[in-house]
Amino acid sequence: MKHLCTTALVASFAMAAPFAPTAADAEEINVVMFGMPYTNGLRKLADDFEAETGIKANIDVIGQDVFENRITLSFTGGTGDIDVVHAPVIQVQRWVAANWLKPITAEVAAMAVKDDILKGPLDAYKINGEQYAVPFMAATGLMTYRQDVLEAAGVGVPETWAEMLEIAPQVTNDDRAAIALRAVPGQGFNMFIFPMIMRAYGGKFFADYTGGDLTPAINSPETLEALKVYIELINDYAPQGAGNFNFAEVNAAAQNGQVVFTVEGTGVVTQIVDPEKSKFADVTGIALPPGGPAGRSPAIAVHGLAIPSSAENPEASARFIEWAVSPETMTKIALAEPFSNFTTGSVAQNAEVIAKYDAVHPDFLRMQGEALNLAIGHYRPLLPDWPSLGAAIGENINAAVNGLMSPEDALAAAEQEMKDILGQ
Amino acid sequence: MTILQAPDRRDHPAGRSLARKRSMTQATSKRRGATYELERGYRRMIIPAILAVAIFAIVPLAGMLALSFSDYHLIRGSKGEFGFHNFARLLSDQRLVNSIYVMSVLSIFGVAAQVVIGTAVAVGLQKIVGKWRLGRVLFLVPYAVPHVAVALIWLSLFTPTLSPINAFFDLFGFTVPTFLTTQNGAMFAIIVADTWTNFPFAMLIILAALQGISTDLDEAAAIDGASRVKTFIFITLPLLMPALLMVTLFRFIDSLKHFPMIFVITKGGPGRSTQATNFYAYVQTFQNSNVAYGAAIAVLLFLMAALISFYVARLNQRVSQ
Repeated sequence: MKHLCTTALVASFAMAAPFAPTAADAEEINVVMFGMPYTNGLRKLADDFEAETGIKANIDVIGQDVFENRITLSFTGGTGDIDVVHAPVIQVQRWVAANWLKPITAEVAAMAVKDDILKGPLDAYKINGEQYAVPFMAATGLMTYRQDVLEAAGVGVPETWAEMLEIAPQVTNDDRAAIALRAVPGQGFNMFIFPMIMRAYGGKFFADYTGGDLTPAINSPETLEALKVYIELINDYAPQGAGNFNFAEVNAAAQNGQVVFTVEGTGVVTQIVDPEKSKFADVTGIALPPGGPAGRSPAIAVHGLAIPSSAENPEASARFIEWAVSPETMTKIALAEPFSNFTTGSVAQNAEVIAKYDAVHPDFLRMQGEALNLAIGHYRPLLPDWPSLGAAIGENINAAVNGLMSPEDALAAAEQEMKDILGQ
Repeated sequence: MTILQAPDRRDHPAGRSLARKRSMTQATSKRRGATYELERGYRRMIIPAILAVAIFAIVPLAGMLALSFSDYHLIRGSKGEFGFHNFARLLSDQRLVNSIYVMSVLSIFGVAAQVVIGTAVAVGLQKIVGKWRLGRVLFLVPYAVPHVAVALIWLSLFTPTLSPINAFFDLFGFTVPTFLTTQNGAMFAIIVADTWTNFPFAMLIILAALQGISTDLDEAAAIDGASRVKTFIFITLPLLMPALLMVTLFRFIDSLKHFPMIFVITKGGPGRSTQATNFYAYVQTFQNSNVAYGAAIAVLLFLMAALISFYVARLNQRVSQ
């Protein structure tokens, strides 16, 4: 039956990409990634890899929106047209459950660079004792704030979300809102931001995730309080239309001086404090995201490189991964692109890299390190069903933010949908 | 000695007639043979098209149909169930009901706007003469822009902090309403973007139809004292009806495929309020890994499109007759 379904799936979907390029021979590999500073930088260095190894790497960097569809078609069809794939940590559990990835424990153990890779992000790709990917980046969440506005208002940097709510009205005027946060529904959009508030108030996704009790527990007084804070910030203190903001709109609002605060991923934060891109970079400060009664919980998003089960030349794929996360390649990308989230530790010791990011913002590397230390690996649960769970929760949260349902109803609906998805 | 020779039958009138008949039969038979060969040649020529349709339409469709009866899940695989359970689930799925409502609103209002604007522009362009006729090309530009790019343009225009429209009205102290945070506003935004990119299709068809209407009719109506508006309503519009009907139905079928606009502009939000049916099929298939149920939704969508197509074909036949 499974074969019949797989055949039908391939027949119905793989037709959409019947002429996808396949590695012509052992000396050619296809790499599929989605756009971000590291992947853009890596694509520019493809010739270096060929010069070093004699293997031609066709690096395809596509939009994140279409990436999922592209790789799902390839993996379900077992077409073997992808030799190395971009592997966000929140997707890897799902891909491993579907047998889409090749375990690379032995390959990683043989890599000279393995001891230079940060242990936390590397371990995030370990499932049932097997390594499935090698991280290249660990992004975290940071807050940016306008120092000049806070000074003029005579207020300090908020340490908690409650303080943020107190300060917000004091820094808002007709031309400027207090804060911009991602709100558009999606497990990588509002569900990258909202859990920072939820966890600060003591909310959680499951009864006891680390203990193995996966009973949904999002409909709790703590999460409700957090959701009300999130709604108040977006509806009362964010720019008009913020209920549909994604990171691009948040970034633009900060760069144009339309908001005082943002809480964003480090990839966006580097652009907000970059003098070449932001009009207000020189008066923008960086701090840890606000906390709450349960402490501070910065977001974390780890990205890595993996080898699909259907890859035809795994040896060449492993060589590519080793080259891609090597200190030399990482350093080149860190210097050429706004890429500070490297997971190859020795890059942080490079004087040129330190000088570059100090020039962008003197607190940046330090704050990023502090946030990574505070972040918990399962900030978003590492489960095969997380993409569905995150989407369902995100849609209900967004509905509450935009007044389509009450916060209470949104959390009740989210919890029920979590149970449905998990078959409980 | 006289050698008796058998008379040549062709010399006899009856024989001549028979020979002629035979010769005609042979010619007819040859012609028939040639026609048969020609038809066979034509049939061979459509083999690639048949193969293409079979490979790229029928096989995937059969695959989708097979999946819709299964319980295949991308992560959990299949337990071997095969039946109508996905279709039974469709009957009680509130999200599906909402998606059909969203799809209907987007299609009905979007197509209506495209046909009305397309007709108005076509009527205006028809009056343009001389070198200015080249200006018609300008109206085709939106049709040539990829849908994702169109969606990004309109996302910016509907985002208050990025929109030049908001900035302009801000100068005079007016606040433009927020569109993307309410269901009606978000659907309006999608309809506007869809109309902008698709009205040129309606315009082209209507313009071609207008050019096929004799100007004598307008002149005769003018001589009889009819105003331009009355001439348009009582003469031009009825003559345009077949074209209007066709363009409406073709656009309606195409409008069932709302995807890039929703994906880029609203991501189905706020909440789930702009998840049209094909977007919902995508959510079930790719986001929830529920391939079998996604296929069942796609089958339902296919049946709806097939019904409309069947109606279009029947209508086309009636109009042609």
